[in-house]
Amino acid sequence: MCLFLAALGCDADSDSAADSAAPAVALLTSGPVSDAGWHAGAYEGLQLIGDSLGFRTSHQQTRTPAEFDEAFLAYAQSGYGLIFGHGFEYQDAASRAAELHPEVTFVVSSGSRSGPNLVPIVFGLHEASYLAGMAAGAITRSGTVGMVGGVEIPSARGTFIAFAAGVRATRPDAAVLETFIGSWDDVSAAKEAAAAQLRQGADALIHNVDAASFGFFQAVREARARGGEAWAFGMNRDQNDVAPDVIVGSAVINIPGIFLETARDWRAGTLGGPMLTGLAGGSVDFVPNPARSGVIPAASLVRIDEARAAIVEGRLEVPRIDFLEPAAGDPPSS
Amino acid sequence: MTPPSLSAALRRWPLLRPATALLATAAVTAALLALGGHHPGAVFATLIRGAFGTWDRFLSGTLLRATPLLLTGLAVAVAFRARVLNIGAEGQLHAGALAGVAVAVLLPGATGLVLLPATLLAAALAGALWAAVPAAMKTAMGVGEVITTLLMNFVALYLAQFLVQGPLQEARGVFNQTDEIPAAAHLPPLFPGTRLHLGFLIGLGLAFALWLYLTRTPGGFRMRAVGASVRAAEVSGRFRALPVIWMTFLASGIVAGLAGWIQVAGVTRRMYEGLSPGWGYTAIAVALLARLHPLWVIPAAILFGALSAGGGAMQREAGVPEVWVRGIEALVILAVLAVDQTARARADGGGRD
Repeated sequence: MCLFLAALGCDADSDSAADSAAPAVALLTSGPVSDAGWHAGAYEGLQLIGDSLGFRTSHQQTRTPAEFDEAFLAYAQSGYGLIFGHGFEYQDAASRAAELHPEVTFVVSSGSRSGPNLVPIVFGLHEASYLAGMAAGAITRSGTVGMVGGVEIPSARGTFIAFAAGVRATRPDAAVLETFIGSWDDVSAAKEAAAAQLRQGADALIHNVDAASFGFFQAVREARARGGEAWAFGMNRDQNDVAPDVIVGSAVINIPGIFLETARDWRAGTLGGPMLTGLAGGSVDFVPNPARSGVIPAASLVRIDEARAAIVEGRLEVPRIDFLEPAAGDPPSS
Repeated sequence: MTPPSLSAALRRWPLLRPATALLATAAVTAALLALGGHHPGAVFATLIRGAFGTWDRFLSGTLLRATPLLLTGLAVAVAFRARVLNIGAEGQLHAGALAGVAVAVLLPGATGLVLLPATLLAAALAGALWAAVPAAMKTAMGVGEVITTLLMNFVALYLAQFLVQGPLQEARGVFNQTDEIPAAAHLPPLFPGTRLHLGFLIGLGLAFALWLYLTRTPGGFRMRAVGASVRAAEVSGRFRALPVIWMTFLASGIVAGLAGWIQVAGVTRRMYEGLSPGWGYTAIAVALLARLHPLWVIPAAILFGALSAGGGAMQREAGVPEVWVRGIEALVILAVLAVDQTARARADGGGRD
């Protein structure tokens, strides 16, 4: 068999990284990097690492877990030293690959498991989401706010729990609607879910989806076009420019910055244990849309700033869901 | 109608049609890649290297990805041979995966010799059950199976969603997925150090078994006769088509059900929403490319597995975005449908055996 494969390059190291001395970093995403959100932020991070640190970079969008394992291993075998799996769904495959390739570091965004060469990044997005909730509580007239999520995973649920807490901090009697559409990329499902919440009177809506956010923003835009008063919040990435006509602000993770910091730590040999990020390090924040200044009352912005300071100083604890597995360094359960 | 010379040529070289389809796809893809600023030759080389470049890539990439397509492709091929248009392999696959996982998780402590056959049996039964509903509706009420099998897919997908959020959710209760199945329920790797598992051999075995059944047994003959024409079969063959149609539904469901559990036991090791990226639908293209012949399903599935594995390498090594990879797969399917005459042609020739 190898005989006919030889013509195609049957040698095992045909794709080795021997041609380049620069460290190599790879990124796996489970959705398109054109989502202007979660995946786009990761791709920007990959490019930032390439531009700032001179690493070789590569990206693959995967569909099934068989591809997760294959992509991790293919990158590891090709000399990539640092591999990001952008989402909890990569945890199992990253754990397996980390055992097989102790010389490679595997980083899992919103991951749950730590190991000698296995690093979860825990985004403190709930803290920014809480501040967005305070803003939503301040601008809602109907007293009903809405939340449209993708797949109901802990990291997504956590941002919504914090958002609802922020809403009630400014408007204790507010009603909070929650819908998970079961997909990160289903634009029409997100639009339907948002439209349903708008019909129930919600006039301040936040999402936690990926490419589906385009449908979410469209639903709010159409409600406004019909003369309704409704506003949307962006999530994961600064989406204020994605739909500047309807977005009053975004709960932002500086994914590129966190990726760059992770890569720096990895090069310096100081990367270990979970990467915990939050308002305190400036990695997440609530960013009001400058094009819609004035929608959020100035007094509310002051209270949001106070809450931000309180969270950073540890005086205010935002409700959260902790999904890190207790014992660090646990071998994978297989 | 095609000119006589061409149709004569097609009759003489049965492989000409699929080959034309693939060549046409390659030509269109090359043109598009060139328009997109990529070097088609380099990209194709990466694709081929990614799919066949090393033993590991061939076994752990191409053949591993071909496995669910091989099984679902067989399920579709056998159904279409009897002109049972089972579009429901996707749902039968999910039903099989759920049943297998349920048995594996609910029977802890059983040894591999007990557990693995028990899970395979459960998956086969669940797939058969999922196919039995459209079979009953077709035979008892005359409801077309295209719509019923398709709708049963959604029932299975939502059932899976419900179960992994509820009764079958992991003990930790955090993520919408089942616990990992015990090691005794794993399908072992075929070669140490690779990820290709026993499921591929099961697929090969089923392909041979179905081929033997279709060509060497009276039951298989009846299946093909019904596929050619129900009326003619009943008039000339002196048998009733009803049991044959039932038999076909069940066989197809069993194979598709096995596909789902085999994927879990061999690769994912747990069940969650979105297990399949649409294998049950791609399977239709696999079966048609194989011209509904069980043995030809093997290379057809491997071709799609190679496209998929090579597509990963195209992304990693040539920087071609994933949309291109999906586009190429879609072009292959389109070309197959355009060039091949699908099951209708079977009525004249009776198929290649």
